[in-house]
Amino acid sequence: MKVLIAEDDPVSRRLLQSYLAKWGYDVAAGADGAEAWRLFEQDEFPIVISDWIMPEMDGLELVRRIRSVERPFYVYTMLLTARSQKEYVVAGMEAGADDFITKPFDRDELRVRLREGERIIRLERSLAEQNRTLRETQAALVQSEKLAGLGHLAAGMAHEINNPIAYVTNNIAVLRRDMLAVMQLICKYQASRKLLARLAPEPAAELDRMEQEIDLPFVQANLARLLDKSVEGLQRVRDIVRDLRDFAKLDEAEFKDLDLNSAVHSTLEMVRHEMTCKEIHISTDLEPLPPLEGHPGKINQVLLNLLSNAVQACSVGGHVAVRTRAEGGQAVLEIEDDGSGIAPEQLPRIFEPFFTTRSVGQGKGLGLAISYGIVRDHGGSIEVDSQLGRGSTFRVRLPLQLPRSD
Amino acid sequence: MSGSPKPSVLLVDDEPDILFSLHALLRREFDLVTAESGRAALDSLAERPTHVLLTDQRMPGMTGAELLAQSRRISPETVSIMFTGYADLKAVIEAVNHGQIFRYITKPWDPDDLLAVLWEAAAHYEQKAERKRLLADARQFVAQSVAANGQEQNSQGRELLARLDRAL
Repeated sequence: MKVLIAEDDPVSRRLLQSYLAKWGYDVAAGADGAEAWRLFEQDEFPIVISDWIMPEMDGLELVRRIRSVERPFYVYTMLLTARSQKEYVVAGMEAGADDFITKPFDRDELRVRLREGERIIRLERSLAEQNRTLRETQAALVQSEKLAGLGHLAAGMAHEINNPIAYVTNNIAVLRRDMLAVMQLICKYQASRKLLARLAPEPAAELDRMEQEIDLPFVQANLARLLDKSVEGLQRVRDIVRDLRDFAKLDEAEFKDLDLNSAVHSTLEMVRHEMTCKEIHISTDLEPLPPLEGHPGKINQVLLNLLSNAVQACSVGGHVAVRTRAEGGQAVLEIEDDGSGIAPEQLPRIFEPFFTTRSVGQGKGLGLAISYGIVRDHGGSIEVDSQLGRGSTFRVRLPLQLPRSD
Repeated sequence: MSGSPKPSVLLVDDEPDILFSLHALLRREFDLVTAESGRAALDSLAERPTHVLLTDQRMPGMTGAELLAQSRRISPETVSIMFTGYADLKAVIEAVNHGQIFRYITKPWDPDDLLAVLWEAAAHYEQKAERKRLLADARQFVAQSVAANGQEQNSQGRELLARLDRAL
């Protein structure tokens, strides 16, 4: 375990270093508070032992600073002091110190107190771990309910929209067949128009007038085109309904063979509108992949989360690239954007539930946490390369075959 | 199919717009009856010979699969086709496994495909009917032979008659 020592007295400092090294600790030492603080910022020290009185920055200030920064782990701080009166103990505790060791220190006492510190650190760690699991579980619960709701909506919608699409499509086919036949019939009538004009000039003139009024040549020339375009439009509606259904395949709770590339295609359809609005260019490089074992709805959710994030990160006219490839028993998916990127200090936190960089109400900060959980459930991993102002690349690795659980 | 009467098709869907649309498409080539429920469809099957039954799966009251199960008792020779939405896959699989349907068609359907499938179904019905007629003719012929023939060939003839009866 790494221990940081802050002590201005060289003799005392060396003594501490040698004891701790002998007990198996990984030791770094600063000659005053300021130097110790620089060391602390550069590395991870679960334990800090600091003298109280030092030039530049004293032990109390060092402890205060350590407490003021957020670290993903607990830092156990011990103050070394000749001051054992009650008011000093209170001041030290208030600054955030965990323990006091009176100078001159006793070797055995120091050893057991360090061990006590290690015990506290272990407890803090397991608490933090439990907290994280709890938050993940809660997030997973929220996500499964959200997904269930969306699945019901999608299934219900698909069914309700399907029937009208079905008969409208059929009606247009009937209209096409019957109206084109009627047009041929009208052609036949027109062929005998001269004869009619001779026999009955008045009705013939009436027919001429009506033909002009409805612009019959246009109708004859464009009827088929109008109907064909309508069929095309309906085909698009059909595709959207099908994509929506593919997106939230909730009936299939089982893992099954899925085609990652077609999942990418159907998810791209979902964000197409958003991309068009922001004039974002999308390029895809999808290599043929063997089917992989997974939950289609959930994999689609991962894709949607990552793609929406990429679109959100981009400014108008930005680029998003989607790539897939097979690599050593894994399917690898990369989603790269040239957007705002992620600040280095935020990078370690982005997969945490409820972590968000957007303003309140714009995002719950669950997207990446959910994606992380889903990919983990598939035995895969997500990683990210990002540079602030240059863009981010999210890389998802999914095993083609699920690891067999025991 | 020139000369022969139009195949009779029973269309079943709870949505009248669907029935109207299908009627418009199929009226020229088929002899159509429509029903808006499984119950009405069963009545129609009992009343007139039906070559092809085309039913939706999702209907209030009686589902398409239930209708097919009951229709076999009333009109076993009718060839059945089922319409299915996206969410009805389970029902289709069940119906296929129970040998209840000849084909299934997803909604929304392609009009040309639908016509082709209906003609296939009509041809299938025709084949089955022809086989039945053939067997009946053969049975009649064998029965006459048995009645006219001497003793020793009768046991063989009777056995053949029994087999024909089973096939019919």
